Amino acid sequence: MNRSKISLLFTLVAMLVVGGASASGQTSAPAKPKAPPEAQSAAPNTAGAGEQQDLAAADLRAIKKPPLPAFHPQQPKRIQLDNGMVIFLLEDHELPLIEGSITMRGGGKDEPADKVGLESIYGNAWRTGGTKAHTGDELDDALEARAAKLETNGTPLATFLTISCLKGDFDYVLDLANDLLRHPEFRQDKIDIAKDAVRTGISRRNDNLGQIAGREATKIGYGAQSPYARVPEYSTVAAVTRQDLLDWHAKHVQPNNMIVAFTGDFDSTALEAKLRGMFAGWPKGPEVPRTNVPIPPPKSSMYFVAKDDVNQSEIRMIAPGLRRSDPDYPAVAVMNEILSGGFASRLFSNLRTKAGLAYAVGGSVSAAYDHPGLAILTIGTKSGTTAKAIDGLYTEIDRMYTGGVTQAELQLAKDAILNSFVFEYDSNEKVLAARTNLEFHGYPPDFLERYQKAVEGVTVADVDRVAKKYLDKSKFSVLVVGKAADFDKPLSTYGAVTAVDITIPKPRSPAGATSAASNPEGKALLAKVIAAAGGAPKLDAIKSVRRKSSLTLKAQGMTLETEQTEVGTDKIQVKLNTPSGEMIMVATDQGGFISMAAMGAPRDLPSSQRDTFLQGLRYELWSVARHANDPQYAFTAQGKEKVGNIEASVLDISGGGDQLRWFVDPESGRVLRSQFQGDSPTGPATQVVDFSDWKTVDGISLPFHSELSANGQPSASVAISSYEFNPAVDDKIFARPEK
Amino acid sequence: MRRYPAIFTLTFILGFWASHGLAQDVASFEKRTTVKVLKNGLTVVLCERPEAPVFSFFTIVDAGAVQDPQGESGMAHMFEHEAFKGTDRIGTTDYAKEKIALAKVEEAWAAYDREDRREVGRDPKKVDELKAAFDKANEEAGKFVIKNRFGEIIEREGGVGLNASTGMDSTQYFYSFPVNRFEIWAYLESSRFRSGVLREFYKERDVVHEERRLRTDSNPIGKLIEQYMAAAYTAHPYGRSGVGWPSELDHLSATEAAQFYKKYYVPSNAVIALVGALKPEQVMPIVEKYFGAIPAAPRPEPLTTIEPEQFAERTVTMRDKSQPFYIEGYHRPDDRDPDDAVYDVISDLVSEGRTSRLYRALVRDKKIAAFAAGFSGLPGTKYPGLFSFFAVPLPGHTPQEMGAAIHEQVERLKNEDVSDEELQMVKTRAKANLIRGLADNQGLAIQLAGAQLRYGDWRELFRSVDRIDKVTKADIRRVSNKVFVASNRTVAMIENEPAPAAAPAAGSAQTQKETH
Repeated sequence: MNRSKISLLFTLVAMLVVGGASASGQTSAPAKPKAPPEAQSAAPNTAGAGEQQDLAAADLRAIKKPPLPAFHPQQPKRIQLDNGMVIFLLEDHELPLIEGSITMRGGGKDEPADKVGLESIYGNAWRTGGTKAHTGDELDDALEARAAKLETNGTPLATFLTISCLKGDFDYVLDLANDLLRHPEFRQDKIDIAKDAVRTGISRRNDNLGQIAGREATKIGYGAQSPYARVPEYSTVAAVTRQDLLDWHAKHVQPNNMIVAFTGDFDSTALEAKLRGMFAGWPKGPEVPRTNVPIPPPKSSMYFVAKDDVNQSEIRMIAPGLRRSDPDYPAVAVMNEILSGGFASRLFSNLRTKAGLAYAVGGSVSAAYDHPGLAILTIGTKSGTTAKAIDGLYTEIDRMYTGGVTQAELQLAKDAILNSFVFEYDSNEKVLAARTNLEFHGYPPDFLERYQKAVEGVTVADVDRVAKKYLDKSKFSVLVVGKAADFDKPLSTYGAVTAVDITIPKPRSPAGATSAASNPEGKALLAKVIAAAGGAPKLDAIKSVRRKSSLTLKAQGMTLETEQTEVGTDKIQVKLNTPSGEMIMVATDQGGFISMAAMGAPRDLPSSQRDTFLQGLRYELWSVARHANDPQYAFTAQGKEKVGNIEASVLDISGGGDQLRWFVDPESGRVLRSQFQGDSPTGPATQVVDFSDWKTVDGISLPFHSELSANGQPSASVAISSYEFNPAVDDKIFARPEK
Repeated sequence: MRRYPAIFTLTFILGFWASHGLAQDVASFEKRTTVKVLKNGLTVVLCERPEAPVFSFFTIVDAGAVQDPQGESGMAHMFEHEAFKGTDRIGTTDYAKEKIALAKVEEAWAAYDREDRREVGRDPKKVDELKAAFDKANEEAGKFVIKNRFGEIIEREGGVGLNASTGMDSTQYFYSFPVNRFEIWAYLESSRFRSGVLREFYKERDVVHEERRLRTDSNPIGKLIEQYMAAAYTAHPYGRSGVGWPSELDHLSATEAAQFYKKYYVPSNAVIALVGALKPEQVMPIVEKYFGAIPAAPRPEPLTTIEPEQFAERTVTMRDKSQPFYIEGYHRPDDRDPDDAVYDVISDLVSEGRTSRLYRALVRDKKIAAFAAGFSGLPGTKYPGLFSFFAVPLPGHTPQEMGAAIHEQVERLKNEDVSDEELQMVKTRAKANLIRGLADNQGLAIQLAGAQLRYGDWRELFRSVDRIDKVTKADIRRVSNKVFVASNRTVAMIENEPAPAAAPAAGSAQTQKETH
């Protein structure tokens, strides 16, 4: 089997089928930091100290354990250009490959709260959106033909550009990378695909127990709106514009904000000269300010998320953690090893092996490089042992808190950390990644050497001290995701329970939120549309409209005669001539109903359908035109896209919680297409309306034909026979019949 | 023992990459790799990679969930968990006494299980008594156990990545060690399979059942995939749950596990690959000393069951609160079939990256899916498995749309030749991916062990790329027309059925909307 087959097997099959692994992979042992080579002294040969006595102890003592051969991996060469760019180069001639990364500070935690998801969309569309000279698709073709990788990726802390190729292709790929850095295009079609990816993630985020628990635990720890916890919503994704991505790029892709790192089969001197030639002339940009995020004080509350279609509970216990630079960190690392470091740790041995309560149990007091981490302990247990598992975790927290770590446990934990230290730098890629990481966070280059020395010196008293500080039951909140009806005890046994509603907000953004800024091109385009339609005074004079049409429903293959009467943006009545008689549908800001003789009493119009009607009113050309000078509305031109044979100008309209896109004929100023997110019978859908057959009525230019589609599937066509402006409308037609 | 001369016959790759300097590397790969078959039949593949003073290993046992005896689904996986429980010397304070106590556990379990499952005349009081006796026997046996001693030794000595996994086809064990622990490794891994003790079996069964709840019962896609495979197979054990059907899992016994071990964990039925800073002249004698002591036994009989030809399309529809998902599969031959490389090419062509056909059609152009791919490997590859296509719909799109769009691409494979550029891209990528995989000890050990076990020669790792290079456009059409037909298809999908209004919360809950 080739490697791509293997990797597919591992990513897909391993995820889909029973993997069956003994769960050390599930226990999420704390990430051990990288070590510098100097730290590699002879690994302490302490096996035996404090071991429990079995015959294996003697067997192991009898086995010769030669000292680990001296090992001094090569260190990367650090170069700093005058413009501030930092470059690391590390030769590795084992294989004819070159791998590299460019790290740019600034990530998801720095994006505005009403545009959460921006960094993820940016990191995706940067590469897929191509450069001024090449579309993203052209780059894909060119790179894949060489089996080369050039990718960009947005994360909470930084954006990464990564390169991997055969050495013979390196100059070519590096030139493309440079083009991408300097001349990105962020084509709109790829922004849309990037947004689709985020929207898919939103729609699926409540399908998996562990994902719910992880997300909500982080919100509990940092606060739901914290940049370290918040998640994208449909509205925040919709609010992101191409201009946002261009602005983000201009701000962050500056030589003084970048770390460039390469390892592989190259000559460092030659590559340094090449990179200097490529980047030295790039002027330094303004400093990117670092966001400081406040961390809320700990709470001790019980939270519950209802999930009724499962037979297992996911439990999280959450408290504040620490920074990696904290002097407590080495002792905390040893404590974590004792608590949950592996097979022999307390959580694994007591809650899994001894009690049989869980397959996945673990967690740690975590230490992030740039902000305090969280202490999160986790266990997944059958619904009927939920309380037992909570008690189990509490017991283990208390056992650490009240002291009593033995010398044997301490020695085992230190041995495990120190004897495996060589794996922190057993490849050039790891050495380079560690060095880049320390540079990124402004840590001293010998940080890991100091850490290793500090671990060697950790005592039982140190562990007892940090356990008191970080494993204090009164600072832990508890989160349970599961099926309450099957729990062994109600959660209220533990105190007041806060139910967390994880319902995903519908695609429309909250009313009043403006999310984008107009650009002059957008304003001009709107002005052109208004002028072409007959001018602002004429449009403004429209208070009510009545129109008659033939509506053809594609799926049903049925054509119905309709009459539609609308007043402002909050009242609409639609009369439909159906084979079973006249059907009347009314939607207003107060409610809505459907009535039909054959149906008996009128029924409520489902709220999603009512929303769809009212959305339609707000998206009428004359309704939009009224907001031309409304500071709460943004009109943003987004480049060109083809509609039929016409290269249309794209205009994004946002305001009042609405998001609408028009495709405008730049010649005539006509709106050829309107596109927006709406509900469909299968869930949220992209609705597209294509207009044609323009005629003028009372000096207003109007389309008499439209074709509708939802998610690319044609749904209906409308042939309009008449428009009537400002007809007399009796308000009673919007009132629900009494009987 | 080197079974082949040092000159390697990988002319394809030598020629192709000569300009990149890989020729020397591949030749050196041959020089650096040694195969030894011990007298007891155990095969050891050793590849020297002296870059850092560490090594990784991968032990692959040619028995997976397919070998679970009838009524004992989940046994191969259960045994894998038990292989972390130590030996007669590791993890026990007094094995002589523990052995007697464990025998009593088995007697108590058999008595309890027999009474509990009695179809007529089951006596609940007696069941309770027998259960109490069983619990007591477990408690007694537990007194001799030093918990997780096996894993503790590995961790203390600096081992990382300790784990194992059980597939339909095989079971595998792996981790990495500092190179000066080689003899400790040989001691641990040989005794694990020579004198392993099935202790704490019944608690571990509970752990495994939790694993089932995690991966299958409480995971919509896990649940669907179990049904997908059950629907695709009528006779072959590929259709059974690998983690075990709940009722069977809860009745596995250590006695049955011992029988499974005796039959399948024999040296001739396993391959160990070692990769790292190891010199054969130093380590092979140690391997001989420790692993040579495992008694020889005949290889188990091959499986008799062959899945009958599918003649009717099968569809599984799961209506669920979770978001829609679509997967379909077609029966294909096993991985030793001459056309195996053709399936590799098709998989790459439709799946790999943004130039792939499914990405371009479903994600880029139709904008109906977030992700789509086609692959072999479910349920396994050792016996005739499935070639599956799947797609993750965008919000608002249905699984049926995924099926229709996938079928358009399948029809293209059947009716149109792929372009020269596409085919060349796939072949170039196969070679590059092979090279990328050579620089990682654990990854390399996985591939060498797999190739050695399945094909009797680790060089198959390179030959598979050679065979990919020989695949023609006509091959792709021929295989697609043969296999991708409706009567050979099984479809499984999740249709979203929205949840009713949120249920009221438990206990004295007050509702709060995501403001914590």
